[in-house]
Amino acid sequence: MNKLYKYYRIALLIIFSFTFYHTVPAQDKLQLSAGGDHGELDFRINWKKYYTYEEWTGIMKDLQEAYPGICDISSIGKSMMGRDQLLLTISNKSTGKHSDKTAMWVDGAIHGNEVNGITCSLYLAWYLLTRYDYDPYVHELVDKYTFYILPGLNVDANNSYVEYPNTPHNPRETYRPEDNDGDGLYDEDLTEDVDGDGELSYMYREDPEGSLRLSADRRRFVDAEEGFEGPRFTRIGSEGYDNDGDGRINEDDIGGPDPNRNYPYGWTLNAGNPYPMSESETRNVFEFQLNHPNIFASFHYHNTGRLIMFQAPPPVSMSSDQRQRLSERTEERLEEMRKENKYAQLFARRVSDEYQHDMDVQEAIVTEGAYILKNYRPVIGGLTGQAHAATYYMLGAYSYLIELWGSPTDLADTNNDGRLSDEEYMKWIDLDLAGEGWKNPHKVNHPDLGEIWIGGSAKKHMQRTPPSRYVEMEAEKNARFVMYCASQFPKVSIDDIKVEALTGDIYRVDVVVENESEYPTSSDRSVQLDRDTPDQLKIKSSGNITLVETSGKEIDEGRRRWYNRSQGNNPEKQLSSGELTRFRLKGKEKRIIRYFVAMDGKKGNAEFILESKTGGSDRESIVIRKD
Amino acid sequence: MPGKSTLKIINAVSGLICIMLISTVTSEAQKVPISFDNYHGYTATVSYLKKVNNAYPGITELMQIGESTMQRPLYVLVISNMNKGTTLDRHIRLRNKRKENIQNVPEMKIHQGKPGHFISGSTHGNEYTGTEVCLYIIDKLVSGYGNNAEITGLIDSVAFYICPVINPDGLYNSVDRGIAQRSNSMLKDDDEDGKINEDGPDDINGDGFITRFRYKDDKGRYIIDDIDPRLMVRIGRNDTTDKQRYSVIYEDIDNDGDGKRGEDRESGIDLNRNYPEGWWKDNGFAGGSGDYPLSAPETHAIAEFFTNYRNILMAQFYHTSGGFTFRPMGTAPHPSLDQKDVAVYDFIMGKKYLEIIGEDVPESWKNPGNIDKYKKELAPGDADKYSKARGYILPRGWRVSYNEKSDKRYSYGMATDWLYAQYGIYSITTELWNPEADIPGIKIDENGNHRLSTMRAVLKYQDDTYDGELFIDWQPFKHPELGEGEIGGWKPPVTRNNALPGNVLENVCEKHWKFELFRAGLLPSIRISDIKTSIIYTGNGNEASAEKNKGEFIIKEGKGKGKGKYNIIAIEARVENTGALATNLAKGEDLPGNRQDVVWLIPEDKDAKFIEGKPATSIGSLAGRQKIPGVKTKPSMKKLKWIIATEKNSPVRIVVSSLKGGTVVKEITIK
Repeated sequence: MNKLYKYYRIALLIIFSFTFYHTVPAQDKLQLSAGGDHGELDFRINWKKYYTYEEWTGIMKDLQEAYPGICDISSIGKSMMGRDQLLLTISNKSTGKHSDKTAMWVDGAIHGNEVNGITCSLYLAWYLLTRYDYDPYVHELVDKYTFYILPGLNVDANNSYVEYPNTPHNPRETYRPEDNDGDGLYDEDLTEDVDGDGELSYMYREDPEGSLRLSADRRRFVDAEEGFEGPRFTRIGSEGYDNDGDGRINEDDIGGPDPNRNYPYGWTLNAGNPYPMSESETRNVFEFQLNHPNIFASFHYHNTGRLIMFQAPPPVSMSSDQRQRLSERTEERLEEMRKENKYAQLFARRVSDEYQHDMDVQEAIVTEGAYILKNYRPVIGGLTGQAHAATYYMLGAYSYLIELWGSPTDLADTNNDGRLSDEEYMKWIDLDLAGEGWKNPHKVNHPDLGEIWIGGSAKKHMQRTPPSRYVEMEAEKNARFVMYCASQFPKVSIDDIKVEALTGDIYRVDVVVENESEYPTSSDRSVQLDRDTPDQLKIKSSGNITLVETSGKEIDEGRRRWYNRSQGNNPEKQLSSGELTRFRLKGKEKRIIRYFVAMDGKKGNAEFILESKTGGSDRESIVIRKD
Repeated sequence: MPGKSTLKIINAVSGLICIMLISTVTSEAQKVPISFDNYHGYTATVSYLKKVNNAYPGITELMQIGESTMQRPLYVLVISNMNKGTTLDRHIRLRNKRKENIQNVPEMKIHQGKPGHFISGSTHGNEYTGTEVCLYIIDKLVSGYGNNAEITGLIDSVAFYICPVINPDGLYNSVDRGIAQRSNSMLKDDDEDGKINEDGPDDINGDGFITRFRYKDDKGRYIIDDIDPRLMVRIGRNDTTDKQRYSVIYEDIDNDGDGKRGEDRESGIDLNRNYPEGWWKDNGFAGGSGDYPLSAPETHAIAEFFTNYRNILMAQFYHTSGGFTFRPMGTAPHPSLDQKDVAVYDFIMGKKYLEIIGEDVPESWKNPGNIDKYKKELAPGDADKYSKARGYILPRGWRVSYNEKSDKRYSYGMATDWLYAQYGIYSITTELWNPEADIPGIKIDENGNHRLSTMRAVLKYQDDTYDGELFIDWQPFKHPELGEGEIGGWKPPVTRNNALPGNVLENVCEKHWKFELFRAGLLPSIRISDIKTSIIYTGNGNEASAEKNKGEFIIKEGKGKGKGKYNIIAIEARVENTGALATNLAKGEDLPGNRQDVVWLIPEDKDAKFIEGKPATSIGSLAGRQKIPGVKTKPSMKKLKWIIATEKNSPVRIVVSSLKGGTVVKEITIK
């Protein structure tokens, strides 16, 4: 008796926990006022700052501690210099395992110097976490999907770029030693902060033959007019010393191969040497992605240029005439479309039938991207070993490379000629930045060159990465674009079931299955790669309903094909292939799966179960009654 | 990095150590005995490498270059005089370094300043004859040091990188456990039953060996040989026979009771299809093995090793069997190679290889100067277009895996192609073991099927020479799932795909040691000679600078306190390669990661000024001394001239650094 009671209690406990497991926590701080606090005050972060490795990983750890139910932190591996590449996994743990949910991958700053990607991906994580309780849109995304967010990919170079004086271009690559100047030494002549002011600017020397002179206000070097009598200058280059005594300065800066040419797809020796996935930083990422086939789409942040670089299916080859005609036709159609929607996107790329849907989906997605990001321009991405090439072409995941920010031209081009004159630039410095980022020319004693001048733009955050005051402006809309894409992950449902009595005890049952989202349940590419899992519709019935036209359990494949052909192979009216029918739901697709059943008796019921690995599941029951 | 102590002291001390070392080495020969009566497998190979490294510390270094899937280390044994030679970074003191102090550049090892020769075995775990050849070569090298002038000279001037086992798990399973495994290991669940690698072969009759089980099966693909009933003869799917058909499987039962046998083995991917050259199909889908090129931990370790040891110019990957050598390429046709490289491969290496294995050398290789004549002879015949373009059909013993007749690539992602095309290395793959050539006095019936006759002869040979110890005769056995049958076959790890242990194996080793010794002898060797210095001007105690203007020196004497007297000196030197081959392959210096040879002139005086010439001068590649038949080579010598202004009596040194040709230094005292 006692024992039985114990089992009873255990059973109750199991049922209870099972129920609890499937209950989505309520949003106890739901906030619907546009003027309200959406949770940002729960975890404050200063978004007018670039963070060092210690700082940004510290923020990640703190975020995880603050939101343990929806956030995990882990290391996907180590960089060359032994730093952990820390990843945030954001997903409601009580609604299922992160690896079972359709997922978004986001990495920031594969290029060491493009650290705006760190702030943007960190911002996305913070946005999702802090708003989860307040914002129904975010709440649903975090419950249903997984976000894998790696704020710094190239952590060694990322940290150096933020923490130390640097040019806008370095350190860009991973830290594998490389002999850039072919002199037999590796990374031996880096840049140095010669005047010790914490920024890398330009060096000039006095030179009677020089083409420059100081401006009247002595703030910058300008072209010397002919016959100018005063001191003349020549620009030497970025601040630095001649470390190896070869007479050249900064000629072998740190950094090996370009990590974004190091991925296997379209890899070339010249761009991605020494070998595909040679860098631990990129290899760790790709291994993680390979081991997480639930990743459905990916974002990769770069600077600069305000681009949405999306990966498109392979083009079919065309003659130059055909190409010409296609691009003209595309232009015309685009002009027409833009009368309705100025953000409309259409690309002059012809793809084969099996890839057409991917092309259509990507055009639809980046159209919304152009709307959300406003002054960003969608373009088709390259295929020479980039991360986004591998994610689409090898894993079948939709991929996007975002070139964050651009130049200050948008902000300071007063005369609207599309360029920034020196005067416009100085105005931007003075009025917008209150003088930040500018170094007035001053004399310095250089151990290799003697007396020189240093001055001009403190280039780092003035050119490659935006001044920190613009970080949040960039991050907020980019977070929204990533979330928009996640919101378009496939969502399948049974839309309707129609039953029609035919002769005798035979009924026709049309089950309408639907994917309401922009993305299909598997990309065209994943189908080609055989990495897809088809959606399936199962029928279960009370004993008195049986599928007709079945031999054994499965309908004879030949008859099914004959039937489908007779229906004009209309994907909207496919005959079921038996108790289990497999198909792929494209984006925004409705499809009818037709069953012929025979019912023995007056009343019976059937249940249809729709399952999609990426798009969720649904079930619907019907009752058939004979009058 | 240099600068920790003065370089002169280092040189003096190392010279002393060097002398002491040679005197100790000469007194003993083979300090670590080795026998080839059994295959070493993984465990014994590793213990041998460690013993050799302990016994010969001055001329060896044991490097762990990675780990297999099952966490077994991959080792490379470096054999080179560790007290002779130099590297560029020992001579250049970096100044005013960035405060950040990033430590990403390791100090160069002394052997990186010498041309490298890589030799490896057991890429395929079941092709372990190559591991034995590697061990044989190690033994010959270390025990020959100090006893044999040629070997001593090579160990002083060359770096041998010997990796006896590229596939530790495959070799371990094949030899140490006796379950042949070509691929690497992989933790996987083929049958998706949630268990990893749970259903491999089994020793079902408990005799300590996993051999074969043969059973009568009307759909079987084997019949018993008429002449030697121990042999199973494979027949074609559509062949008819009135004999009893058999199936032959591994000794194996269904461990997990899922109705399948051996469906979830440790076996992973073919490592020699996992390299980046020619891995992709033209249609953008994977052609080679693995999820991506170099996805396997073993190939990844090899790639990282070659990336860090760019001084390697020769490479050998031993496989079995056949008794011939593949030179590149397999994935691309003949024109993908540079013709200068082809000439070195075929006329120099190929010719020697054929002589060693006792195969006829093509007439055109003996007279490459007359190649046009041979081209004319081939032109009207039905030879393939590549042979016609070359002037010869590649012989059996020295070939490419590309199918020149049908103009089709052979497979995807192979090591030899990769190292040639992407690293600029004379890489080859030798398929060891040809019973006909390697078993002295073997008698093979010339009539009928040659392969079958060879199998019979080898089996007969082991009866006579090994008292039949290598083959387990078939014994009846009742298989729990398949019923009556017999168990028997070659006694693991002996198979017909590897040279029989003992004398036969040693015979194979000796031939290939000779060939690799020959190849090592071809490596470049850099010398600096004919140094001439002359003082053009002597200063008088003040700082000064000098410029050369239209052949005249303009001396500007400085103000203030002088640092001391200074000179303006002209320095001339001659840099030459006295080795047989050039310091780079034809396209080698342009490959990313490679470079031109560089000559540095390094004045001790850090304020020295260069008036003519530069501190670092790139000089391209230096050709070797050996005339390459049919190929016009670059000069093997370069003359350089500098004029510098430097403190009086301050020494200057010349360092020539060739990535693949070695680094040498000469100190100059100016009088």
